[in-house]
Amino acid sequence: MRPNAQRLSLLLAALLVLAACGGGGGTAGGTAQPAGPPQRGGELTVLESSSFAGGWPSGLDPATNTTGGANISQMSAIYGGLFLLTANDDGSDPRVVPNQAEGYELLDGGRTVKITLRDGIRFSDGTPFDAQAVVFNLQRALASPCSCKPTWPLADGGITAQDARTVVLTFTRPYAAVINSFPVANTNWIASPTALQKMGEEQFRINPVGAGPFTVVSNQLSSLLVLQRNPTYFKPDRPYLDKLTFQSIGGDQPAYQALLAGQAQAYEGLSTTPLLEQAQSSGRLTVTVQPPTSPYVIQLNTKTAPFDDKRAREAIYRATDFDSISKGLFRGLYPVSQSFTGPGGLFHEQAVPGYPTYDPEQAKQLVSRLGGLTVELGTLNGYVAQQVMTALQTQWQAAGITVTTKNYELSTLVQQFNSGQWQSMLQTAGAWDPASGVGVGFRFGSTSPFSGVADPQLDQLLDGAAATVDPAGRQQLYNEAGKYISDNAYAPFGLAFAAANIATPGVYGPGLTTKIPPIVVNAGVIWDEVWRVQQQ
Amino acid sequence: MTASVDAGRHRAGPAFLTSPGMRLVGKRLLLAVPIVLGVSILTFWVLNLIPGSAAQQLLGPEATPAQVRALELELGLDRPAVLRYLDWLGGAVTGDLGQSLVSRQPVTDLLGERLAVSGELVVLAFVISLGLAVPTALLAAHRPNRLFDRISMVVSITGLSVANYVLALLLVLVFAVQMAVLPAIGFVPLSQGLGENLRSMALPAAAIAFPLYCFYTRFLRGDLVDQLQGEDYVTTARAKGIGPWQVLVRHAFRNSAFGLITVVGLNLGSLIGGTVIVEQIFALPGIGQLMLQAINTRDFVVVQACVVVFAVVAVLANLLADLLYAVLDPRIRYGSR
Amino acid sequence: MAVVDAGPALVEPATAPARSRGWVGSLAVAVPAGAVALIALACFVGPLVLPVPPPIGGSVLESYLPAFSPGHLLGTDPNGNDILARILYGGRSSLIVAVTVNLIGLLVGGTLGALSGFAGGVVDTVIMRVLDVLIAFPSLVLTLAVAQSLGPSQTNTILALAFFSIPAFARISRAATLRLRELPFMAAAGLCGTPGWRILLRHVAPNIAPQLITFGMLGMGIVIVIEGALSFLGLGIPPPAPSWGNMIAQGQQSISATPMLVVWPSAVLFVTVLAFNLLGESLRARWSGR
Repeated sequence: MRPNAQRLSLLLAALLVLAACGGGGGTAGGTAQPAGPPQRGGELTVLESSSFAGGWPSGLDPATNTTGGANISQMSAIYGGLFLLTANDDGSDPRVVPNQAEGYELLDGGRTVKITLRDGIRFSDGTPFDAQAVVFNLQRALASPCSCKPTWPLADGGITAQDARTVVLTFTRPYAAVINSFPVANTNWIASPTALQKMGEEQFRINPVGAGPFTVVSNQLSSLLVLQRNPTYFKPDRPYLDKLTFQSIGGDQPAYQALLAGQAQAYEGLSTTPLLEQAQSSGRLTVTVQPPTSPYVIQLNTKTAPFDDKRAREAIYRATDFDSISKGLFRGLYPVSQSFTGPGGLFHEQAVPGYPTYDPEQAKQLVSRLGGLTVELGTLNGYVAQQVMTALQTQWQAAGITVTTKNYELSTLVQQFNSGQWQSMLQTAGAWDPASGVGVGFRFGSTSPFSGVADPQLDQLLDGAAATVDPAGRQQLYNEAGKYISDNAYAPFGLAFAAANIATPGVYGPGLTTKIPPIVVNAGVIWDEVWRVQQQ
Repeated sequence: MTASVDAGRHRAGPAFLTSPGMRLVGKRLLLAVPIVLGVSILTFWVLNLIPGSAAQQLLGPEATPAQVRALELELGLDRPAVLRYLDWLGGAVTGDLGQSLVSRQPVTDLLGERLAVSGELVVLAFVISLGLAVPTALLAAHRPNRLFDRISMVVSITGLSVANYVLALLLVLVFAVQMAVLPAIGFVPLSQGLGENLRSMALPAAAIAFPLYCFYTRFLRGDLVDQLQGEDYVTTARAKGIGPWQVLVRHAFRNSAFGLITVVGLNLGSLIGGTVIVEQIFALPGIGQLMLQAINTRDFVVVQACVVVFAVVAVLANLLADLLYAVLDPRIRYGSR
Repeated sequence: MAVVDAGPALVEPATAPARSRGWVGSLAVAVPAGAVALIALACFVGPLVLPVPPPIGGSVLESYLPAFSPGHLLGTDPNGNDILARILYGGRSSLIVAVTVNLIGLLVGGTLGALSGFAGGVVDTVIMRVLDVLIAFPSLVLTLAVAQSLGPSQTNTILALAFFSIPAFARISRAATLRLRELPFMAAAGLCGTPGWRILLRHVAPNIAPQLITFGMLGMGIVIVIEGALSFLGLGIPPPAPSWGNMIAQGQQSISATPMLVVWPSAVLFVTVLAFNLLGESLRARWSGR
């Protein structure tokens, strides 16, 4: 029996290796250059990871979708967006441009913003996309339970329709980041008020109606969303595709295989480094690594022990070696940042003067001066985050810190933050503009439920930066904020990570096969421009 | 699946059964009621132990405790568990399983289509595994401890010791990526043609069927060998000069089938919720995924409904096994030998 | 997860006569028993005497080393931990979980089943109906509930799995007890006025033990595999502590690029399950002749 068993296990090993090598050969992958002009028609199936973008359990109404920040792709395919984040094909010059909006004006030193809508847009149910509809939607969105609702310093009754095409927002203080905050927030997605009223909220979240490039054919929550071309879309000859399908799948490996097998044409958010390398070297898929905007950050809860003591926080800075983690776990693919945006983000600052860098000896001294240090480190459940957490645990323990680790589901993570009992959290999501979305205010502002810091001085710096219209002035204030965070050892930053998109040959589109800085985790794909080479 | 659930509720037994059979059905169905009730109570209790509430989920992280409490009040989550359970039970008896707390959809709508996917998956897996296990076991038991028997044993134990997600990924690599003969993911509904439907289910069903096949083969082979070596009727049959294959198939297998039916009945019931891993890898919109998501979003109305459906299926599967057992009663078969 | 519930029917009526005994039979027991002992020895004593690094706390700079790298016979995992060390230490977790789950099942389930079969009547009905509820209750829900309210850990994994091994053992134990009850010596004991608990302890327990132990051997393999399935869903033994199951579950996340992360623990798992199954099979063949 034993020789048989042995042979069989060898066979199994051989089969595994064989299967693994099958992907080899071909030329190196890279940014795909289309051979000709975009073509009309065709279908596209896009895979989304079930643990993030592939989960939409509460439906796709912008005001009730609690996971809107993860479902940016689905939402913008259905609703389009008032504004879009776009960039050159290589990711340079990222900028927010009007889409369903025609333009905007910052007035009153940034206290008022006037948004003009494009003329003649209609929702796919035929009703007009006017200022009334937008005001209705903005009010609903701001009352939403989604963490993707914007944190605007809005004045009382600050959303008004001036005329049929003009919406006016009024703030209590200057707010320069307002336009940049649109593409990250649910205020960007405008739903048809008439359809909502006719269907009722419960039906609308399943079969939403917007004015985006696609309309809903069928929607099976958190598993399959089938969309078709919106014939009344406001841009002529767009979208290119006839049909767009989003399908939820259980992780990077099955998604990678499904693309190779040809059952889907694109996958957003590949983050497993060995698979990324394999996809790049096999040459069978287009691999697009987005310009990283969001460095990993280890949030420390300064409101409670042990991190209410600056020495404990500094010990963590000194014990943390993200350079090694980047080299070992991520093959040196991602740069390490010392502040709150990555190279692809706005107001990026590679090095912060006086940043407490990795120094295990000093970490040990700090720990012994504290008489020992015991911490709990948590993160949102995920394969890559888990690996980084394990590496951090090892590094911290080498400095004499006792570390226990904990994996959270999104729901238990929120609970942990609400309880205020957490000590340190490894976070991976971030923002392109630090003043919007999961930006620096989200992680460091005193009023944010996800912040471990309550420091009026820092609040003042961040609010000031968000209010400053002049980019150079804003940069100056963010540099000061970055230094302030580092000087107070509030939270060490790490490698600036961005997930990659993979696509089969012949699929092209901005954000999918060209570079656009990620909005929260994935880049905002501009779906009406996505096209596919037609098989003859 | 849904059809059989309804059939169970209305107590319609197969018409060909004789009256003792009908009495058995009645008795077993009566016994099934407390089991399903027990499962629903147990679920309610267990779900109450999980921290976090759907209200918190729906209101997001910035909700004040007062807002959460207000929504809990609206959803009726503040009331004592016993009262909520009785309410739920009242609805369930009339076929109303309530409304999802998170998506606000009627639970019966959510369950229907997904149950069909998981149900087909499980049924296919059983057909494949049994269809292959029976001939393999017969061949192996025909000449125990010879080459074929040994090979089938090693194959079986391989199947029992390989994690099924690894098997699923390997199947995709070989049949979908390398050979490109079957789809790697997705579900094609029956309405788009039987062929396409079966093609989309082939790999997931195989991933579930292989360990089952291994298990049944080992089980049946062991039982057949014991029958052949020990039972009086086998000795008698042999003495009469009946050929070894005839003894094996007509006598030993008929007897061993009872044990197999019991195992299959037990498996069938418990497997319907156990397909979640395969559903995730193959992106199938099945009930396992629905339940996993519902637990993560604290949508306990959906979880409760899923669990009860599983329990009903489990009980019905056992009942079916018992009925088959009664139909094939050995005293009838072998008494007239 | 389903397979564990199918346990009871694995044990056939105790009517088969003795099979080939003698040295062939002894060897059939001795070889797999030796293999099991060897694996246990390697996992529990191996790390103490062999020059293997600790299973956690490797340097990330040594991540993804191939097999036969200096100092790392089987290479390293993404966190730079030695795979051989993780297999040996992981074996400890996997074996401890498997043994404990089966032991709990055997003791609690065995007792309940024997009691049920021996006492009959109301006791039987109550115990069996409660166990039927457990069988019809989806294990996934309970495991998720345990993991999310108590947190994933080795102890909680054992608890959740034991919950489902109990009914399986109970069914076997009850069936065996029922058959025993019909034998003359039991009636004799009853007539002599021996108290029930004494009959259970002196006569029933030793007679049903072989069947329960045999099933336990087969259950060992099943539990080791199921722990891996729980790890896939993030519910088993939490990383970075190794178990064979969570090593495979983590390795499959990039199986096409790094297949050896799955192959090594799978191979060890296979040999172990094979040994336990062969042992169970041989013991069954041996004892079924009683």
